Amino acid sequence: MNNRTYKGLRLFIVVFLFVSVVFPLISLLLNIEFADFGKVLSSPQFSDMMFNSIVATGASTIISVTIAFILAWCVNRSNIKFKAILAVLFTLPMLIPSISHGMGLVLLLGSNGLLTNLLGINIELYGFTGIILGSILYSFPVAFLMLTDIFKYEDYTTYEAAQVLGLTKKQQFTTITLPNMRKTMISVIFAVFTMIFTDYGVPLVVGGTVMTLPVYMYREVIGLLNFSTGAIIGLVLLIPAFVAFIIDLKAEENGNTSTITKGYIITKNKARDVFSSIYCIVVLVIISLPILAFALLSVVKQYPIDMSFSLENIAQAFDLGVGMYLQNSLAISLVTALVGLCTIYFTAYINARSKKTFTNGMIHLISMLSLAVPGVVLGLCYVLFFKGTFIYGTLAIIVLVNTIHFFASPYLLAYNSLSKFNKNMEDISETMGISKMRMLLDVYVPCTRETIIEIFSYLFVNAMVTISAVSFLANFKNMPIALMIPQFDSQSLIEATAFISLLILFVNITVKLAIYLLKRHIAKQEV
Amino acid sequence: MEILKDDIKLSVRGLYKKYDGKDVLNRISFDVKQGEFLSVLGPSGCGKTTLLRILIGLETQTDGEILIDGKDVSKLKPNERGMGIIFQNYALFPNMTVFENVEYALKLNKELKFQSKAIAERTLEQIGMMEHKDKKPNQLSGGQQQRVAIARTLALNPKVILLDEPISALDVTNREIMKKELKDIQKKFNSTMIFITHEQEEAFYLADRIMVMSEGNIEQLDTPKNIYDNPANKYVEDFVLAHLDQKLESLLKCTGKIAHE
Repeated sequence: MNNRTYKGLRLFIVVFLFVSVVFPLISLLLNIEFADFGKVLSSPQFSDMMFNSIVATGASTIISVTIAFILAWCVNRSNIKFKAILAVLFTLPMLIPSISHGMGLVLLLGSNGLLTNLLGINIELYGFTGIILGSILYSFPVAFLMLTDIFKYEDYTTYEAAQVLGLTKKQQFTTITLPNMRKTMISVIFAVFTMIFTDYGVPLVVGGTVMTLPVYMYREVIGLLNFSTGAIIGLVLLIPAFVAFIIDLKAEENGNTSTITKGYIITKNKARDVFSSIYCIVVLVIISLPILAFALLSVVKQYPIDMSFSLENIAQAFDLGVGMYLQNSLAISLVTALVGLCTIYFTAYINARSKKTFTNGMIHLISMLSLAVPGVVLGLCYVLFFKGTFIYGTLAIIVLVNTIHFFASPYLLAYNSLSKFNKNMEDISETMGISKMRMLLDVYVPCTRETIIEIFSYLFVNAMVTISAVSFLANFKNMPIALMIPQFDSQSLIEATAFISLLILFVNITVKLAIYLLKRHIAKQEV
Repeated sequence: MEILKDDIKLSVRGLYKKYDGKDVLNRISFDVKQGEFLSVLGPSGCGKTTLLRILIGLETQTDGEILIDGKDVSKLKPNERGMGIIFQNYALFPNMTVFENVEYALKLNKELKFQSKAIAERTLEQIGMMEHKDKKPNQLSGGQQQRVAIARTLALNPKVILLDEPISALDVTNREIMKKELKDIQKKFNSTMIFITHEQEEAFYLADRIMVMSEGNIEQLDTPKNIYDNPANKYVEDFVLAHLDQKLESLLKCTGKIAHE
């Protein structure tokens, strides 16, 4: 294996990124008819939807980030027990599709919901309430993970200095903790905002008469095949993601200057620990309620009329093809994880371990660009660009769109891992006659096994839960199982949607568990 | 010091490098003989690292020739020039044991792969690292890592070994030990070494000859003693001697003070 293999693969990556990212984005722009532009944007319907989207997203973002912030603080700054397990449990909602969160709310708080009947309450779920509640459930784990990172990597010596200077706890919080968080906080807010702003899953099932932009886009494209209007809305949805992208790029340029000299020392404080415990338990209960509802509805005869135990719903779900679509999803997720891992890791290798050339810089930028393209928009771009080609309508295009949709985060993970090696590694290998591909396989891959496993797991789970990018590209043959949820929901097969959500959760938990055991095995080997 | 023509291992002829419109190396020429330890001494930005990288082929010169045993190697790939290089921090392969680090490049070498095990064992034996052969780099001290890096280079039997400030990363105590070890190894293997440094004492301690560089030019190339006794110009006097004298003075002051007390 010589350097020609490496050069060939690098060329392949350049072509691959142009075909799968740049050209589809261009075709989105080319598909907009200018006459429609003014018509769509100036219609009263559009301003209503814009208003709905901004209000619902804004409110959800503020509440979601606040809940996540307090949660991250409780887990990282108190002496509560089972921290590690709690941290994992709080990310469970990431293992089901966004639309499942909407379905969970319908099952719990809908007009015939479990809690509605049990407690005799009736909140007007459909509309803003539903969208905001569902969006919070779906987005807070992401904010929690990002915020946990800041709490984890704070340098305690600053706090020691503050104590010496006689600053009170409150002053320490306002002068150290908050300013330290500003940069990440902006990233978190933008990430959560973009996530909710571009999601159609939650508002589709609990939005009621409140129409948001992504739902409108979804209906225009899926129902009316109105691609030009879809493209215009897609362009609008690109805006917050694009702003977030620019901010993140800037943050990356400034670099991470934190050098931790001492981890945070948690003092004794009973009141704080009690509060933290209660808060964590409340959040945990809220997270588990929809999951319990899924489980319950999967095994009763007919909700809410006949609550006796029955496997009829599960049998019916399989009759409706759930088995085949589960197979589809498993195949899609597995191939996405493998293909995605190879392309993403190799792309990161090119940029982390080679000279900064124009081509490499371009590869880096395009790799990051997928952060700025929401799933639904990417899906639409793919319809417009790939329609009529041999790949259209196959499992391959689903794998491709998933790979690109989830490209940026694992790319950065691999890029950072690979950048940590001695900068003279390539000079040494070159002078010793060791090719770049040999170095990759014999040195870098074995050294970054954990990162590789992490990327695989990330891609698999996300391919399993995504409904955004794939929605316009799936047909009855290549459809992943998550897309059965909106379909069954529209046919009022509520029990079947509950079972599917549970099934997806089960698969993802199994994969996560397997990954955990594998990582532990590797860690043991290294000792 | 006279060099007989037959003794010459490496010969550099009119080496010139222009980078971003600036002359980084100014048509320099020098010879290094078999078994010689040459220190290239100069402040950062004087062109010494560029010189090293061009010698081994990691960068290309704008003009000039590099001859090894009289043969022009300037157009050859880095691994075909018969040179080895050791960097600061050594760049050992972190996932491989000491033995694997030394054996790895040998196994990939068409001519050496059949004896790779024997060569790796012999080299580690000679360098006194055989007892650590199953350890990973992160289990070794800085000095041991340097020895592995040297063994890895020596195993490929290079005609000239280039060293890019390998000692600078170590702490003061280890630096003293490693300087001595490096000199011992060089004598034991009769290797031809070119050692890049910005530290005057290092250069004076290790070198058979010192090449003082500034702004891409050779200011003086001679034995340490000759440079100390007869600095070629003001620059050499300021950069090399003034610094050494200062050190000497503070040393004397210090011992004087101890004696006084």
